[in-house]
Amino acid sequence: MASAEGRRSQLLRGVLDLCLLAVVEEGPAYGYEMTKRLRARGLSIVGEGSIYPLLGRLERDGLVETYRAASNGGPPRKYYRASRKGQRALAAGMSEWRSARDAVDAVLGLVDAEVQP
Amino acid sequence: MNQFIEECRREWKRLRVPDPVANEMAADLEADLKEAEAEGTSPHEVLGSGASDPRSFAASWAAERAVIPPPTLTARLRRRSLIHAALAALTLIAAIGAALVIFASPDASAPTTAIRLPAPPYPTSIWTGTNMPERAALARREAELANEHAVFLSQLPEGAVWVQANGGIVLRLPQAHGPGVEIHTVGSILLIVGIVGVILSMLFLLWSSRGGADHSSRRQTA
Repeated sequence: MASAEGRRSQLLRGVLDLCLLAVVEEGPAYGYEMTKRLRARGLSIVGEGSIYPLLGRLERDGLVETYRAASNGGPPRKYYRASRKGQRALAAGMSEWRSARDAVDAVLGLVDAEVQP
Repeated sequence: MNQFIEECRREWKRLRVPDPVANEMAADLEADLKEAEAEGTSPHEVLGSGASDPRSFAASWAAERAVIPPPTLTARLRRRSLIHAALAALTLIAAIGAALVIFASPDASAPTTAIRLPAPPYPTSIWTGTNMPERAALARREAELANEHAVFLSQLPEGAVWVQANGGIVLRLPQAHGPGVEIHTVGSILLIVGIVGVILSMLFLLWSSRGGADHSSRRQTA
């Protein structure tokens, strides 16, 4: 049986790219800003792979667009925003996630009904 | 923080990531880490598990961005030629080892070993006429020559190769049980080294033909 951390890590690994697309769909963001947005929604990446390689992959696949702009009082940062292709990928990914989540909920709900008095 | 970025830079340089791209990634990373530090956020919150392994983190990021140039054709050809040369050399070593194992068998009782490879099957003398005394004299002379030839062969130095006029080949091996080197053991070692080397070279050839180290680094993901 996988540990709770290990299972969380595996679950997150499959959807972290979707989470990043969702975060930049809200508005353009640079790397650390995305980390903060994820954390604000209760998703910490401590112990997980970094988001930077994943952002590199999204950029390579044309799912995000980048541009440089000055940040608040800091050096110019590389901002990411979802491209059209990224928006379509996000919509498709959310549909897949919900479908998988509902199926798992249905199975786990069945067990829950048997276990709970 | 600076040490982490320096390690990343070294890795990007090793992977031949173009300088402008490496500088850009390093600048972004430095700005993010500085901001995180100012807010009291640990590097692990920003970099995840990559914080403890800068080289792997840097390689993974560069690979995902597809900024690692593929090895040039000449470099690939040179590497392939080297592998082929190593394969040929190791095959030769294995063949020499096998020959020594076969020819210098440890149960040879003679102090020295001379191996005669078979001569082509054609006659060495052609008899004409029916003059028996002449025939007997020729036979005696032939026996004397054979004796002299045997003496000559026994006096050949160790390691000599003698090619006879009739096409036969004589190999004179050193003592199989001499006080110095055990030829059979040396042959066995060469054979094993050669075979293991050939197998390893072929595996390496197979691995490099499928992309090798570059392919491995590209497969690293977040």
